[in-house]
Amino acid sequence: MLKVIAACGNGMGSSQMIKMKITKVFKKLNVDVTVDHNSVGAASSMAVNYDAVFVSQNFVDNFKTAASKGVKIIGLKNLLSEQEIEEKIKEAGLDK
Amino acid sequence: MLLRELVEKKLTCYEESFADWKEAIRANGNPLKREGYIEDAYLDAVIACVEKYGPYIVIIPNVAMPHSTEGAPGVLKTGIGFMKVEEAVHFDPNDPEKDARLFFMLASNDSEAHLNNIMQLSELLSNDDLVNDLLTVKNDEELLAVADKYGGE
Repeated sequence: MLKVIAACGNGMGSSQMIKMKITKVFKKLNVDVTVDHNSVGAASSMAVNYDAVFVSQNFVDNFKTAASKGVKIIGLKNLLSEQEIEEKIKEAGLDK
Repeated sequence: MLLRELVEKKLTCYEESFADWKEAIRANGNPLKREGYIEDAYLDAVIACVEKYGPYIVIIPNVAMPHSTEGAPGVLKTGIGFMKVEEAVHFDPNDPEKDARLFFMLASNDSEAHLNNIMQLSELLSNDDLVNDLLTVKNDEELLAVADKYGGE
C-alpha cells in the first residue's frame, strides 16, 4: 500500500484540506493508500518513511533530504484543485 | 450551509482595502474577537506564522485561510471568521497568485469541530462558481443569497 503524508505550516488547516483532496483523488484512481497529515517541521523529519509528500508549493524546499532519498515531493499551487492533484499523481507515477 | 452559520454567529465583515496583509489579518480576526472566539494573542500568532512560513495561507487564487496551531494561546472557541475585501490584499509583492480578497480565518481548540469546519470549507471552496460569487458580495444579505443559491449542507 502507498503511504503518503500531507503537510502545511502548522498541520492544522491546509494539510487537512490536502489530505481530504488527495484521498478523494487516489480513490478515484483506484489506488490503495494511507494518508497522514502533519506540520512541515514534523513531516520533514518523518518524510523518509513515506512514498510521497504533498505540500503547498512554498514548502517543497523543506523536503530536500527526503527527495534525495527517493521520496516524491509533490508541490501544489492550488490546494483544492483535484485536477492538479490528479495530474501530479500521474506525473510522479503514483497511480501505478 | 457554512456561510449561513457564519452570518448567524456574526463572524463576517466586509472591508474596502488595507495598507498591508497584517492589517487585513487583524481585521479578519475582529468579529472572532468580538464574539469571544479569540484574543489578540492568537492574531499575533497567525501573523508570526505567515512571517515564518510565507504566504502559503493563500490556498487557492483569491482566497486566504489565516490560522496558527490548534489550541494556540488566545484561542477560546472553535470557529471561522469570514472577510471580504474589495481591493486585493498582497501577500507576496512578486506573485499576484498570492493576492487575496476572501479571508477565512480558522481558530480551533477542538479537533473534531475543527475538522468538520475544514470539511465544509473545503467543499465550499472547491466550487469555482461559488467562489466567484463570493468575490462579489458586499454585505450579509448578499452572502446569504449565495448561501441560498448553492444550498446544501
